[in-house]
Amino acid sequence: MSSSKPSGEVRSADLDLAGRIRSGEGAAFETLYQQHAGRLYNLASRMSAGASDAEDLLQDIFLLAYRKVGSYRGESSLGTWLYRLAMNHCLDVLRNRQTRMGQLTDSMDEPEAAPVAAPGPALSAVSRIDLERAIAALPPACRAAFLLHDVEGFGHQEVADILGVSEGTSKSQVHKARLRIRAQLGARELKAERV
Amino acid sequence: MTTVTCQELPIAAYVDGELSPAEERTLERHMEGCPTCRALVADLRTVRAAAFTLDRLEPPADLLARIQARVAAEPRASARLLAWPNTRGAWGVWLAAAAALLVTTSIGLAPLLGPAEMPATGLAPAADQASLVDSVQADLQAAEQHYDRAIQGLERIARSDSAELDPQIAAVLQKNLQVVDQAIDESRAALKTQPASSTAQEGLFEAMRTKVALLQQTVELINEMRKGNQAEAGRLMQDLSR
Repeated sequence: MSSSKPSGEVRSADLDLAGRIRSGEGAAFETLYQQHAGRLYNLASRMSAGASDAEDLLQDIFLLAYRKVGSYRGESSLGTWLYRLAMNHCLDVLRNRQTRMGQLTDSMDEPEAAPVAAPGPALSAVSRIDLERAIAALPPACRAAFLLHDVEGFGHQEVADILGVSEGTSKSQVHKARLRIRAQLGARELKAERV
Repeated sequence: MTTVTCQELPIAAYVDGELSPAEERTLERHMEGCPTCRALVADLRTVRAAAFTLDRLEPPADLLARIQARVAAEPRASARLLAWPNTRGAWGVWLAAAAALLVTTSIGLAPLLGPAEMPATGLAPAADQASLVDSVQADLQAAEQHYDRAIQGLERIARSDSAELDPQIAAVLQKNLQVVDQAIDESRAALKTQPASSTAQEGLFEAMRTKVALLQQTVELINEMRKGNQAEAGRLMQDLSR
């Protein structure tokens, strides 16, 4: 994945695309969609843990992008700007949902201490279904960092730019997520062995 | 040899391949005698590899069309550059401000402005001078009330919904109005000390004309924004910023 700080050429192309979207050019908006919808749909789907929610989220994200494209100034790549907007929206929706359900939410800027690496049997082959379940059980901010880095392949600096945190916080959140997933998968394996 | 505890090891950086060769060697030496850390590193690598190979999901084929339909129902993105009011309440405040400005320009100041209404250069008869000064002061008071209403209207817009009003526009308008107000105050002070001075009168009228022009441009800007004419609104914005 390229750096989130755009080169002059990329910045110029991104500003041009944003300008064409702003002026109501449908083809430009479709270009933005084709470039990012797939990846954003995967992110939205795993952030929301539901296909219908993911469709709603993706619609909201592109509508928000259309409304706010005038605020894009080329400080980051248009992609980073869009993912930032998308993740903020997903996190807002998740946190609102959790607040309504009375659950505690995690904070991105003040990561709790990473779970201690408990000794245990090494994981055997990881089932994709189990891994998806373990990801869905992660706290939202931790899940966001893990999805961006380990699933979508963004670098830590890009994850930091998208989530508005430091690079160190991104690393810490991703490590915390991996440890939690390991614990979940390990517990599932132990349970399966006992049955 | 220094003993390293499991908690002190940079396991995450090792898994991500971010350690220097020397740091890697230190960690690997520790792992040779520590099955717990060995298992942890193996598991974290497994998790990372499995995450990267998760199924790629595809958005429904008709999702773009659905989004485009919603976008089509939106005001144009370009109009939002100028913080287009999109609620009935915000429009009401904008139009109230426009109405107040129009009243100011067309009624409150009309008798004072324009060459036809300007007093002849040179000294006027004393009675006419006194009458003119009284008239000017009365008109100024009326005009100021209109200005105050207009300015309050704009301030209400800024307060009512900051997301809908571009703060830069409001700031430029306020700053320009302050500058012109200061010029009017200075001209008025000069006229007070020299009521018969045609230079002082001209200075006051000039300041008033500037303020009227500024307010008229504001009204034009509102109208162009309402029509969605981005190019003309942008030109007016540049004029207002000068």
